[in-house]
Amino acid sequence: MTDRPWLRHYPAGVEPSIGEIAYRNLPALLSWSAEQHADQVAFRQVMPNGMNGALRYRDVERLSDDFALYLREVAGLGQGDRVAVQMPNCLSYPVVAFGVLKAGCVLVNTNPLYTPTEMIHQFSDSGAHALVIIDMFADRLDEVLPKTSIETVVTVRISEFLPKVVAGIIRATQKYFNRTLPDINVEHTTLRDALDAGGERRGKGSSVGTYLAAIGPDSLAALQYTGGTTGVSKGAMLSHGNLVANTLQMLAMCGAHIRRGEETVLTVLPLYHVFAFTVNLVGFYHMGAHNILIPSPRPPSNLKRAFENYPLTWITGVNTLFNALLNERWFVEHPPGELRASAAGGMALHQPVAERWREVTGTPIVEGYGLTESSPVLTFNPLGGMNKDGTIGIPVPSTQVRCVDEAGDEVPLGQPGELVASGPQIMQGYWQRPDETEETLRGGWLHTGDIAEMDEDGYFRIVDRKKDMVLVSGFNVYPNEIEETIAALPGVREVGVIGLPDAKTGESVRAYVVADEPAPSAAEVVAHCRKHLAAYKVPRSVAFLDELPKSPIGKILRKDLRNTVSVGAGHQPTDAAGEEKA
Amino acid sequence: MSLTASLVLALEGPPPDHEVVTEFEQVMLVGLVFIIMFGLGAGLTPRDFASALRRPQGLIIGWVTQFGIMPFLAFLLVLALVLPLPAEYAAPVAIGALLMGSVPAGTTSNIFTFFSKGNLALSVMMTTNSTLWALVMTPLALLIYGTRLMPEGADLQIPVANILVTLAILLVPVAVAMWIRSRNANIGAVMELMGGFFGLFFIVFLLVTWVPRNWRLLVITPWQVYLVAVCLGLFGITIAYLIARGIKLHPSNARTVGLETGIQNGPLAIAIILLSFPGHPQLGELLIVPALYSLFIVLVATVVTFYFRRANLAEEQKIDNLL
Repeated sequence: MTDRPWLRHYPAGVEPSIGEIAYRNLPALLSWSAEQHADQVAFRQVMPNGMNGALRYRDVERLSDDFALYLREVAGLGQGDRVAVQMPNCLSYPVVAFGVLKAGCVLVNTNPLYTPTEMIHQFSDSGAHALVIIDMFADRLDEVLPKTSIETVVTVRISEFLPKVVAGIIRATQKYFNRTLPDINVEHTTLRDALDAGGERRGKGSSVGTYLAAIGPDSLAALQYTGGTTGVSKGAMLSHGNLVANTLQMLAMCGAHIRRGEETVLTVLPLYHVFAFTVNLVGFYHMGAHNILIPSPRPPSNLKRAFENYPLTWITGVNTLFNALLNERWFVEHPPGELRASAAGGMALHQPVAERWREVTGTPIVEGYGLTESSPVLTFNPLGGMNKDGTIGIPVPSTQVRCVDEAGDEVPLGQPGELVASGPQIMQGYWQRPDETEETLRGGWLHTGDIAEMDEDGYFRIVDRKKDMVLVSGFNVYPNEIEETIAALPGVREVGVIGLPDAKTGESVRAYVVADEPAPSAAEVVAHCRKHLAAYKVPRSVAFLDELPKSPIGKILRKDLRNTVSVGAGHQPTDAAGEEKA
Repeated sequence: MSLTASLVLALEGPPPDHEVVTEFEQVMLVGLVFIIMFGLGAGLTPRDFASALRRPQGLIIGWVTQFGIMPFLAFLLVLALVLPLPAEYAAPVAIGALLMGSVPAGTTSNIFTFFSKGNLALSVMMTTNSTLWALVMTPLALLIYGTRLMPEGADLQIPVANILVTLAILLVPVAVAMWIRSRNANIGAVMELMGGFFGLFFIVFLLVTWVPRNWRLLVITPWQVYLVAVCLGLFGITIAYLIARGIKLHPSNARTVGLETGIQNGPLAIAIILLSFPGHPQLGELLIVPALYSLFIVLVATVVTFYFRRANLAEEQKIDNLL
């Protein structure tokens, strides 16, 4: 076992392997949990003003059965047909997503904020037959549907499954005050009607069991689109086996820190994102948790009621979320008293944020790592074991991780190399893209495109994305390192670092800073970097912005920062951005 | 109509059988105030109080503008515009105006703060804070300024004890709503929403029932009284905003402090008068400033909100919409 030095850092009770998997498919895992916790609340949707509604485990089980019956027997879908699901976090999401899986169909998670162009790409690339969409965005369908193979459209309301009066108020507000309910000009069924139709079939003796007989670990469960950071997005093929294994791997590593039937978890990240899908939706459901779904987490004050009204024990999120909460007075003054632990993923957890989080909440926060292509969890810092800030921790059970050079050979300990991984959670490939699949899955190893180093304990540290690396006078500069340094300067709220073409040095470093009061000057930022970094890593220019471009889950998008620079190249972006030359 | 003519009419008063506020209106108005106070409480948790106590500086600014500036502003306006009028008429109007300046902030300010992109949390906190402090500060302000305003020989007394009791009673729904909210978040959120709506409904109610029935009173009311009602809100917002900017508060917080200070709880002032001066022969004069203020503040605050949106948003817009 010398090739897996991390195994000796597994906390007591965590086995090196998850062993034989008891569930043939995801619905088997879900139904088992629903039976165990039938009368407990599974999901609760909490609106910014505290209005809420809940579904118990038994409700979710029955409603998702009905939706599966609708898809197969009313909409006429077959096994393996793709169903696109496009909605924010709400009570309909688990009903629909679990229904799709129970029908033996393939879930295609779609960002509700997508433009028609992006929707057309994702729907036609996946060959989706049906679409379940939030009614607020369904006006785009006139333009989208003719260019796709979608035949069935089901619309859901954000107020679905909420108490009648509350639902009525929300609906009225949407319709008359916010005017966010457009006319829908395409033929569609409401979720309510679809569930009624499915329920009718159930009454006549139809059962989802028949659809699942043929669904095993190798059956495709989801097409999870990724690769948005460069080029066109492609569908990672995640099988039932991938998702079940990753759920169990993640839970195995958490051990007793997730107690069966006793946790209340805050789900701020959108469920269409793979992290929230596997960890929050499936993982915590498996453990019988009470899952608080937040439909719109921005601004962060939208979370205030959820924190006030429910005894949250777990929070998952990205660095941006934790940082944002730490900048909210109500949060810092009354941190959640029942909180036990938090998990960060999706992007690097900055050390100052991690430290402050522990200080404010008095509970651990651990960083993990994974990719859409790995369902997603590959590594994290073990709770109750040794935590190393600034690292992504150690691989979860049944997972092998290495750092390799261009030739695919393992690099010496402590040296940077591309992180590659293998295990039962690694995707089957990219949907209908054999070339890219071959390039990414080489010799059974997932090539992540991330540069990492492993230390003697088997802890991995991400140096940076291969493609974000900046080449200054021939030196490799990793934006993460500079961001981390600048983030530690008082008055810096958020920071993003990119490389710009430079006549003299090839590329030069530019930092974008979102400042708090009192704001540091550009010269102070540079002076701070000079103190902590080698000369070639010090930003050549510092620009101040009110906000950084972010992905739906709050990842800072360096490519958008780069685009801004090139878009703004025509005029003087420097004035508009309040830039000061350093 | 000349000043003297209108004053003669004013002094004659309405016909003897005319009720300035009918019993139905009285019940409705007081009921509405209870609902508004319910809504206020439904938005609060004990944590909000703890937070406010822990970090009082923001609230202190609001407290100073709310109870330092507003009653003083009302006092100056009365001094300049109302007192020159004949004593018999001036006394009740002055009490009404002074009370209008001394009551806490209203929930309507939260709505305008929202539309002018201010700091909603700060607004709610300031409203609550000033509502609680009103128990002490409103009677105190009436004592301080009231004695200086009463013309020689006026037999009108400010029933400070009554006002105190009324304020205490009106805080009961706040506490009850807080308790309900802690038991059921959905009922709490609905009540909070209703409170905001009924705040606006109050104005509509005044417009459709009270104004048409009392048009005579409105016509004979001298222009000075209108001016007091309009200036109290307008100057209040402006002065508090300038102070907040002067001490370098963030523009969005300065907007909040401005609106919060200038927008008083009109319904509360009316309810206090109705409950503290039951059946008073000069009820119309007592109510005139609070009623006019309640009607005009919507207009004043709307204009100010538009100004804030234009002036300040331009100031805060430092970057391209791209980012």
